[in-house]
Amino acid sequence: MRKALVVLFAAVVLLSVTVPAFAHHAFAAEFDAAKPVKFKGTVTKMEWINPHAWIHIDVKGEDGKVTPWMIEAAAPNALLRRGWTKSSLPVGTEIMVEGYQAKDGANRANGSIITFTDGKKLFVGSSAGDPGAAPGTTFK
Amino acid sequence: MKYPILIAIALLSATISLEAQQKAPAAGVKTAAAPPAKGYVTPKTPWGDPDIQGTWTSDDCIGTPLNRPANLGNKAFYTEQELAQREGQLARQAAADSQEFAPTDARVGTGPPSHWAERARRPCKQTSLVVDPPNGRTPDMLPEARSRHVPEGAGNNNPKADSWEDFSYYIRCISRGVTGSILPVIYGNGQQIVQGKGYVMILQEMVHEARVIPLDNRPHESSNIRSYMGDARGHWDGNTLVVETTNFLNGKNGIGLNGGGTPTTDALKLTERYTRTDPNTIQYEVTVDDPKTYVQPFKVAFPLTQEPGYENFEYACHEGNYAMFDSLSGARAQERAAAEAAKKK
Repeated sequence: MRKALVVLFAAVVLLSVTVPAFAHHAFAAEFDAAKPVKFKGTVTKMEWINPHAWIHIDVKGEDGKVTPWMIEAAAPNALLRRGWTKSSLPVGTEIMVEGYQAKDGANRANGSIITFTDGKKLFVGSSAGDPGAAPGTTFK
Repeated sequence: MKYPILIAIALLSATISLEAQQKAPAAGVKTAAAPPAKGYVTPKTPWGDPDIQGTWTSDDCIGTPLNRPANLGNKAFYTEQELAQREGQLARQAAADSQEFAPTDARVGTGPPSHWAERARRPCKQTSLVVDPPNGRTPDMLPEARSRHVPEGAGNNNPKADSWEDFSYYIRCISRGVTGSILPVIYGNGQQIVQGKGYVMILQEMVHEARVIPLDNRPHESSNIRSYMGDARGHWDGNTLVVETTNFLNGKNGIGLNGGGTPTTDALKLTERYTRTDPNTIQYEVTVDDPKTYVQPFKVAFPLTQEPGYENFEYACHEGNYAMFDSLSGARAQERAAAEAAKKK
């Protein structure tokens, strides 16, 4: 029963923290729900650009080969309003990324969950992916 | 079997919520702007116009749907009890935001993560952004409008992205139109209002529009001169700034969030009203009249607020719009995959 209550609470929290559908672009056009990715990488730079910031990381494979990846982050203005600064993510920081790869197979991913390697959240906000955020419209 | 349980709980929660909404006493049908706070005297500029200057945001109504869910009928506002619940939701959201560690069972999705979003500071009292007709829903569209093409990213979930031109004007960083530039979205809702003698200027953060609105009763431009943001003319009705905008391009943005929805026509006329109701609130409303798209005009309204430390920042939209490249190359990759799958058959 206790476990059920915990699950119920978690479900209610998840339901209440979803965001509406409109981000700058059509997500489902860009990322492939059939290509989930999860890896650790080392930050090489962060591009503070519009309409979205991008985090560049080097990902080391099991064979030792290093592959560069780009992870999409929020709009720079939103990052700033939520407490981020240019020095929030120094080069060399190790991060964990969980998300989906670009549809064209390029090494780009949406950062649905991005944490430091100890599980601490990288971003101020909730890091849960938003399942209700497929591109679309609330307009009939 | 974790997911069936979660789905069952979600359905149960939705049902409970639906029942609660149906049992809630119907609020009066209010469509007019909130009246100014008692005793509030609108400040004046040195030349005597009502002073509505400042940087305002529609953040508090982030997530409020344009169209009211049909089951809410004519209920325009939440009850005090429901508002208290929503306040609790915001508090839980803030608590989840401030957790130091990511939850181990956080869901991964292809959509924009919650950590991208700016947040409402207090619950929006309205059940929808459309306030008139009384059912809070945009009126029916004319048959021709219903068959009008909606671009990718503006409500078309089945796109055929052959070119950047298939994407909405928002995704292309061109314009969100007048209503799309002020309706509350997940971030970038800033509206900086600056007044000069004979003019009001509204600088809108996302996609970086600056609306320069003359107040000298000059006529609209020739109907041959058209633009995405139209030709705006303003005047004061008491302490309310009234802005009438016409001369829109045909078939560009819709009325919805970020200019989404069915594109409106060159017959569109927007009449906006900005009323400062207390030092930190402007009640905003806009009447949408496009006789080539909708069977009748309708009205959208919501508050704009001033918040400590809130300011507009530059939004150079096409600075690094990798998403456009990814979306087009993604469509090509899908085509290749489909062609290969067809060959194997």
